[in-house]
Amino acid sequence: MNIGETDLPGIGRKFEVSARSGDQMVIIIHDDGRRELYRKNPDDPDESISIATFDDDEARHLAGIIGGMTYKPKALETIEVALDDLVIEWFKLESDARCIGNTIGNLKVREMTGATIIAVIDKGHQKHLIPGPDFPLVAGSTLIAAGERAQLKMLKMYLRKGL
Amino acid sequence: MDTLIFEVGLAIALIAVVGVFSTKLRFSVIPFYILVGMVVGPHAPHFGIIDLRFIESSVFIDFMGRLGVLFLLFYLGLEFSVGRLIKSGKSIVIGGSFYVAINFVSGLLLGWMMGFPLKETMVICGIMTSSSTAIVAKVLVDLKRTANPETEVIMGMIMFDDLFIAVHISLLSGLVLSGATSWTGVLFTSLTALVFILLFIVVGRRLMPWIDKALNVRSTELFLLLVIASLFLVSGFSETLHVAEAIGALLIGLVLAESVHAKRIEQLVLPFRDLFGAMFFFSFGLTIDPTSLGGAVWVAVVGVLLTIVANLLSGVFAGRASGVSAKSSVNIGFTLVSRGEFSIIMANIGKEGNLMPAVQSFAVLYVLILAVIGPLLTKESKTIYGLFQKVTGRVQARE
Repeated sequence: MNIGETDLPGIGRKFEVSARSGDQMVIIIHDDGRRELYRKNPDDPDESISIATFDDDEARHLAGIIGGMTYKPKALETIEVALDDLVIEWFKLESDARCIGNTIGNLKVREMTGATIIAVIDKGHQKHLIPGPDFPLVAGSTLIAAGERAQLKMLKMYLRKGL
Repeated sequence: MDTLIFEVGLAIALIAVVGVFSTKLRFSVIPFYILVGMVVGPHAPHFGIIDLRFIESSVFIDFMGRLGVLFLLFYLGLEFSVGRLIKSGKSIVIGGSFYVAINFVSGLLLGWMMGFPLKETMVICGIMTSSSTAIVAKVLVDLKRTANPETEVIMGMIMFDDLFIAVHISLLSGLVLSGATSWTGVLFTSLTALVFILLFIVVGRRLMPWIDKALNVRSTELFLLLVIASLFLVSGFSETLHVAEAIGALLIGLVLAESVHAKRIEQLVLPFRDLFGAMFFFSFGLTIDPTSLGGAVWVAVVGVLLTIVANLLSGVFAGRASGVSAKSSVNIGFTLVSRGEFSIIMANIGKEGNLMPAVQSFAVLYVLILAVIGPLLTKESKTIYGLFQKVTGRVQARE
């Protein structure tokens, strides 16, 4: 992806984005916080067609959606954020996982794998931060776990198939 | 004196009402502020306590307008950056110089045609060369043209134009405000102004670490006090050196733009600029006798025509220099036609220097016409270009 940046003094800043797919888009960030999306007019390269205008809060929300923060597409179910050796990973519990119905404490998750489950988002998008030992694992919920890469791999194996 | 606050309140209310009205009509607010000032000026009727002639409060409204100029130029200085201008590219500097040159020449031409003396002609050149950053930016945003390739060229050229205005005001203040009569006197004051400006910028850059440290206060109140104090002190001090206080404001803005606190200052100053800026246009309107405008109509019409032609020419030239299409070049020309705040500031300098009142009347009509026509031309530039193409096509076919 290619991104070109230009100053628009008195207005804000312009970002020209060309994606690998060949699509082009222009994003204008106004000094007052508004964001505008444009695409090139295929019939007239000098003209840009406005797609949408967002206020600052709306644009942030949108960025979250595009960034996969509010809904994780299937392909990204094992999205991860790496901080040096520490990795934070999201993954979904399928209904056939062995751990379903058991609690975190019963499974001794940390002792067995070394990884820690730091949050669970259940099917109803309810968030449970730092779930305690008696927290039951339910099918369809998304786990957010932290640990080293090997520990996380073990955790996923353990929850899915047992040991 | 006991109705002072009420009178000022009335003035602000009037400004607000026409402001709402003009936004409803989707026109620039600036000409409307001037118009309402003109209408309620010293000849308007009065009924008991509601006296719209603003006699008691005129000194104060005048003072607030004066602050308006300071804030307008201070903000311009804050926004302006030489680094930004250089970064926008050679084509913009070339296009911008051509723009300034051709519009300046059209000012000279108009001054010569009307038989104005040198000082008046110089002020008219300034009035005719200063594009309105506020109107142009607003129109481009409204028309959703910000993503177009020519928009960067337009905004770059306006920045160049702003730089020219700064230099021109400083020279003008030597010429018009110092009261010097001989050529050497004028030259001397203009040179002092330039030396002062250069020294100020150089020293300001050197002192930046200290300025940053001094402004490093958490309290918004103290921060505001420090900023406004430096603004007023520098502007006031400049005035004692026969450098227009507006230039002082611009200078302190330019220096503070380099500070790490520039963004915070901008946000803080914006409401002041909006309030006192509006008061400035209103108070400028108050000084104008509507009946005197009649004599300036023809000058203004000729000025407008000259400006449209000059802008088209420079748009085509700048467009070619920066490699955008012919249609976009026409866009550049028509978009830059809008005139507003800086033309009025120029005219105001003429007023302070006791130049012919015809200059002010000209400025009012000229800005009124171009602030209304400019955005319309910008909007319809595509259609006009299409028509133009049709006509030239037909001419070529006939040949």
